[in-house]
Amino acid sequence: MSNYLFLVEDPLQQTYDAIVVGSGATGGWAAKQLAEAGLKVALLEAGRAVTPKEFTEHMPAYKLKYRDHSPEIVRTRPIQKQCYACMEYNYEWFVNDLENPYSTPAGKPFTWQRLRILGGRSMVWGRQSYRMSDNDLKAASRDGYGDDWPLSYADLAPYYDIVENYVGISGAAEGNEMLPDGKFLPPMKMSCGEIRLRERVKAKFGYTVTIGRTAILTQNHKGRLQCHYCGPCERGCSTFSYFSSPFTTVKDALASGNCTLITNAVVSQVNMDNAQNKASGVTYVDRLTRQVKEVRGKTVILCAQALESTRILLNSSTREYPSGLANSSGALGHYLMDHVVGGGASGRLADFKVLPDANEPARPNGIYIPRFRNTPTSGKHPRFIRGYGFQGGAGADFNFDAEGYGASFKKAVKEGVYSISMGAFGESLARWDNYCEIDRGLKDAWGIPALRISMTHGDNEHALMEDASATAAEMLEAAGAKDIKVQANVEMPGMAIHELGTARMGTDPKKSVLNPYNQAHDVKNLFVMDGASFVSSACQNPTLSMMAITVRACDHLIDRFHKTDV
Amino acid sequence: MKRREMIRASLFAGAAAAVRPPLSAAQSTAMPSELTPAQSGVDASKDLSAPGWKPLFLDEHQNETLIILSDLIIPATDTPGAKEALVNRYIDLVLAAESSEAQRSFLNSLGYLDGESIRRYRAAFRYLKREEQDDLLHALAYPRTASGWSGEADATPDLGHAHFEALKQRIATAYYNSQIGTKELGWDGAFAHGPYEGCTHPEGNHK
Repeated sequence: MSNYLFLVEDPLQQTYDAIVVGSGATGGWAAKQLAEAGLKVALLEAGRAVTPKEFTEHMPAYKLKYRDHSPEIVRTRPIQKQCYACMEYNYEWFVNDLENPYSTPAGKPFTWQRLRILGGRSMVWGRQSYRMSDNDLKAASRDGYGDDWPLSYADLAPYYDIVENYVGISGAAEGNEMLPDGKFLPPMKMSCGEIRLRERVKAKFGYTVTIGRTAILTQNHKGRLQCHYCGPCERGCSTFSYFSSPFTTVKDALASGNCTLITNAVVSQVNMDNAQNKASGVTYVDRLTRQVKEVRGKTVILCAQALESTRILLNSSTREYPSGLANSSGALGHYLMDHVVGGGASGRLADFKVLPDANEPARPNGIYIPRFRNTPTSGKHPRFIRGYGFQGGAGADFNFDAEGYGASFKKAVKEGVYSISMGAFGESLARWDNYCEIDRGLKDAWGIPALRISMTHGDNEHALMEDASATAAEMLEAAGAKDIKVQANVEMPGMAIHELGTARMGTDPKKSVLNPYNQAHDVKNLFVMDGASFVSSACQNPTLSMMAITVRACDHLIDRFHKTDV
Repeated sequence: MKRREMIRASLFAGAAAAVRPPLSAAQSTAMPSELTPAQSGVDASKDLSAPGWKPLFLDEHQNETLIILSDLIIPATDTPGAKEALVNRYIDLVLAAESSEAQRSFLNSLGYLDGESIRRYRAAFRYLKREEQDDLLHALAYPRTASGWSGEADATPDLGHAHFEALKQRIATAYYNSQIGTKELGWDGAFAHGPYEGCTHPEGNHK
């Protein structure tokens, strides 16, 4: 602790049964499960609390000074603004990039989009919720690349059930071999263009187009109201219709009477009782006063988001663990993944004469095409392993790109255009040389050493996006689209905002950081229950799986805790 | 809105929130500076129509040119146009806060318009007759097509069209994000429009 000027110790402070670091999708679940099981939990959040009073989903853009073109975002959020959800309405939910630096090597840009506020990114997430199958979890056995997960779909399925039943996922069962069905609320409806795409893609390719499976309620569910289709979920929801942890899991954890929420707690490191080789708690910097404080706990659970959890471990090195806590394997920081995005296509369905309607309910969801490459029935693709899924949508939009000017332009805008588009999310292979480390020359505003993130998409990811672009164009053509524009770039890593890996789980302590229950091989009362534990990325949006894995790990922890075995 | 007013607005918002917070009182309250103006409940929709408005960035000639241009691109029809929507004032506000590159780029486009106007009519755009303004815009509004003789596309970039598109983009964005423009698109001013019905056509007949 020599790098801190003062350390505040509260002599009356209790020792918690569990310290959960991070209050997002996974931290909220950990706090809920453990507190409801009777453990005394401290839930630490680096940001402030959030209240529905600051939700702005019903505020029209003309009430904003800059109508959503605020220079404040450019000044303080030059990285965060790359996220579509960071806008003049809500930019204060996103981290201030000037206070939260990280570095990247020359020629390897990485965009790291994050929130520090109660609920973390669950406040603004895309809400798409898909299960992984054994085609994902055991992919290495099937194509020889990388490592299998140390758990199977049968291990996860009951936990997917628990999470889906609580969260409320709307969707349609399809019986698809790559995308297991779940416990769904009624699906949202498809537009005309989407139904045509579904019919034509099934007829021509044999692939499934389904409505997005989304963590948005289509009927009242466990005290929350169904979606009212106003559209911009990422500005907050006054009816709590999309899943965010502050108004669900965290609320339950606090209601149990066993959870103490500590906001503005920027955790810098896990503290160790070296004699017993056990974690003894965490040190944090009060975000507002800059005071350094300590919380003691019998177990420490990191749910800070993949890169942040790993940063905390790397910053917690001791004499016994000189290259980062619980890093005897050397794997900590390595195998960073983020879905590859950028491939896709868009076009016009010219024969649909539907006028755009500013008052039409706005469905905050799209369509999904589950992975169809390298499946058990498709055979092996000659150019790449694994695959991608498509997300997209079709509907009538105002035609702001109409040509010309004057009264005819004004009219053309309102006549609209029926557009259809789809973009791919591709699997990001786990590679040792995609990694993060501590940048010794860079600290954040709280004096905590910052990360240096080194990641590129490889040949396989590029091949996935090329195939996705060509295939998207073929599918749109089959649907009768005109003016098809192919999007064939590969976005920089981080753009999918699906960071995974860096503290992978496995059965072999020499090759992995965590055991199959998210427990550090090296330090038995230390857990990482977030995306850091992923062995492979699959191509599905990962949050649902992260939550299921967390609930499973908590079951294990609770069981061991009562046997005093952690 | 002045900073002090913003803080006051957010204090009132805080008082209202006390009615029924969904979470326990253990929550710390946010500092005013940690809410966006929108999250504090600030309504800036009347800012631009304040009496005594003066441009922050544009000079008088540029501002007058922009008013005329915007009203040609989005004129009043049976609904109000860009001039009434104070599109020039919004663009001025945004420009004042933008990078010098973005500012220069905008002035270059506006300057190109005047340059073409002087070349063709020996007068700046704002002083032309309405028909002349219309003729000039018409020449710029549509991309040049390939010359029929060589059969090859014109390799030189269509600079005039690019400048026109840049200006039009600014004006259209400003207009359709204004209160008048939102009404032009038919928005009735209410949210919560559900449920989403999707396709209601009979099977296989999506027209």
